[in-house]
Amino acid sequence: MTGRIRRAVAIAALAALAVAGCGGDSGADTTETGASDETGQTADTTVADATTSSATDDVPVETAAPTTPPSSSSAGTTAPAAGDDDGVREVPGEYETIQAAVDAADEGDLVLIAPGTYNEAVDVVTNNLTIRGLDRDGVVLDGELELDNGIRVLGASGVAVENLTAQNYTANGVFFTAATGYRASYINTHRTGDYGIYAFDSVTGQIDHAHTVGSKDAGVYIGQCYPCDAVITDVLSEHNGLGYSGTNSGGNLLIVNSTFRNNRAGIVPNSGSYELCYPERETTIAGNLVYSNNQTDTPAIDVALLAQGNGILIAGGVRNTIVKNRVWDHNRTGIGLVPFLEEDPNDDLPTVDEWTVPCAEQKNQAPAAVDGALLWDSQENAVTGNVVSDSREADLAVASAGGDISTFGNCFEGNEFATTAPLELETLAPCEGTGSGDWAAGDLGVARWLAEIDSLPGEVDWKDAPLPELGSHEGMADPATAPARPATDVPMSIDLDAITVPDAPA
Amino acid sequence: MRSPFPTPRPERLATALLATALAVATGACGTDEIALVANAAPDRVIVGPQGAVGQFAVECELSHLAPDDPIVHPGHAGASHLHQFFGSVGVRADSTYEEAASSETTCGQQGDSASYWAPVLLLDARDPVDAIRAVAYYRAGPEVEPTSVEPYPPGMMLVAGDATAVEPQPLSVVAWSCGTGSVREATPPDCTGAASLRMIVTYPDCWNGVTISSTDWADPDARHAVYSEGGRCPASHPVHIPQLQFAVDYPPVPADRLAGLALSSGDIHSGHADFWNTWQQAKLSNEIEVCIHRDLVCNVSS
Repeated sequence: MTGRIRRAVAIAALAALAVAGCGGDSGADTTETGASDETGQTADTTVADATTSSATDDVPVETAAPTTPPSSSSAGTTAPAAGDDDGVREVPGEYETIQAAVDAADEGDLVLIAPGTYNEAVDVVTNNLTIRGLDRDGVVLDGELELDNGIRVLGASGVAVENLTAQNYTANGVFFTAATGYRASYINTHRTGDYGIYAFDSVTGQIDHAHTVGSKDAGVYIGQCYPCDAVITDVLSEHNGLGYSGTNSGGNLLIVNSTFRNNRAGIVPNSGSYELCYPERETTIAGNLVYSNNQTDTPAIDVALLAQGNGILIAGGVRNTIVKNRVWDHNRTGIGLVPFLEEDPNDDLPTVDEWTVPCAEQKNQAPAAVDGALLWDSQENAVTGNVVSDSREADLAVASAGGDISTFGNCFEGNEFATTAPLELETLAPCEGTGSGDWAAGDLGVARWLAEIDSLPGEVDWKDAPLPELGSHEGMADPATAPARPATDVPMSIDLDAITVPDAPA
Repeated sequence: MRSPFPTPRPERLATALLATALAVATGACGTDEIALVANAAPDRVIVGPQGAVGQFAVECELSHLAPDDPIVHPGHAGASHLHQFFGSVGVRADSTYEEAASSETTCGQQGDSASYWAPVLLLDARDPVDAIRAVAYYRAGPEVEPTSVEPYPPGMMLVAGDATAVEPQPLSVVAWSCGTGSVREATPPDCTGAASLRMIVTYPDCWNGVTISSTDWADPDARHAVYSEGGRCPASHPVHIPQLQFAVDYPPVPADRLAGLALSSGDIHSGHADFWNTWQQAKLSNEIEVCIHRDLVCNVSS
């Protein structure tokens, strides 16, 4: 076929003149729906005594008494005119919508939201804002299964979101991307299409006193960061695909004093080259209650379907510390170190030398072209001092899909347990001294899980999944009068040595 | 941030050369002018782990099949080969912008009421394979200054790929992969074990700034949108618009049936896709501003 030749510079005059007329609406109309409805809320405004170190203290308060919701004028702050200069932006007193208040706010301001239902998807691009509900259960951002994110923090640093509820969002309840300094405290999320609370490509953060229910992917997620410098504490995550998920995160990342129950799977960090900053590594999981993560009527993505029935499952992660958790009632493993099989990779496996390369540095390295699957094995993890029981396959396990698990450098010591795979795991792989025994005895046979997916219950549409109600919660102290507190003092300090195995709930 | 401009790999250079050769070969009318085909295909395409460059991504379920093409054959129901439609529900050959923009959407992002369509994958050149979903990735083109990217005007119509092709098209325009893996091939590979077999079509990202559609889709010189090169748009098409990568995910096809695959447009190499901007325009503009201009990852789809 002979070709008519295309010219790179054709009809130049036509287009060069026309630029002014193009581009459509580039305006910043970021409010999708502006309506606010502050009526009709019965809210628990009783603040219980705060106890901060128990893994169970974020369980809904059973005996909360409904009271009249506070109005913005009785909330302890004055109600000055819109645009006043007191650094407090009141919704709806001064601004009809949260988005309007956020857009008007200056760095360091407090956006204070009165009880009510707000059908908004709020974008935040201003640093150091504090966005606070006056009532954790009574300030409800509701996406009505149509809006994408309740509050989305876009490259803004030091933003804190606290004391409110986000529900029925197609993506996330609260989402931070590319933030340096972030905090989500006293947040409830319910029925979300991706995550409850989601921090991506963000560092120096804290997620505390959250209750996340019914997320398709995971209740809480921190991913693509190393070092992350972040703390997750006093969280209750239930009826999600995964209680916690974190791809390619770690480095001073602590998941502590929290409860993960009744999810498909509990705590599931993983590695993969489909996003940056692999491998997952150096995450400390301590002092958590992890139980009954066999829930089959939850939404789920493929990872949750594969991981279901496991309590704490490291999928291709390295150098994690799993210590002093209480883990029970799982159809597969209580604590499992397993491979993550990536069939369609975007880069080669990192070498051991590359495990310590900061995320910011790895981002500048061009990925390799790879043909064929990657098998991310879990290596050099330490599992110590946990109390694990009632696991149908093994309380403690390490497995691969063809790799030699005796060489992976994982260790197990000082745990209470009944079963392991392979057998006698604490003898095979002690954290102190040299192990001995037969690594081939009692192999978990983890590849079998792939074949079993089709015989296990499939996902339930996140929009329809049966979910427990959020219930009533302890909120933050003095929300009406506490000063703005941007996320410039995070993460909080955690005394890991003081953590003990938490008691099971009565 | 990771540099969005890694050094081109040899296969990318090969792709560019291939693009040049094909652009010359697929013309219709024959002159002897020197080929300058910078805009026939992207000089390279964004692949690799997500999270490196700003983007927003929308996942959409299949809406319906119809032998319609509201862009190439507007108003002529049944005039096209069979297409599978995603996004705006019920789009037909005679749909108006207002109808499409006000329809329900199959996309997870409810603001995305755009219409996307592509030919149907056929087993044994006959039996349609049901798509799992489609994913639309919106980014600045490679090396394009993100803040220069303008929203598509309302109603803009774009076509990418050559529905008449019987030979490989540039991989930077039409390619097949396993899931979101970075290996792109001219024909469907064996993806046994992977999440999907994926067709990926990359759309032009430079607009003439005048017309929301092309007057003659059969004439490559009449296109109102072309591809950037080295981050620049040609003077003829000076307006940067997002570089949309549209992916259709299928269940992996068994290796012994790959050879019998075809598309409803003809040969397996005839991959193409159509995009009609019937987004909620304010939402589209907002996403371009906060995600692309700020070079932020607003979500990933993998």
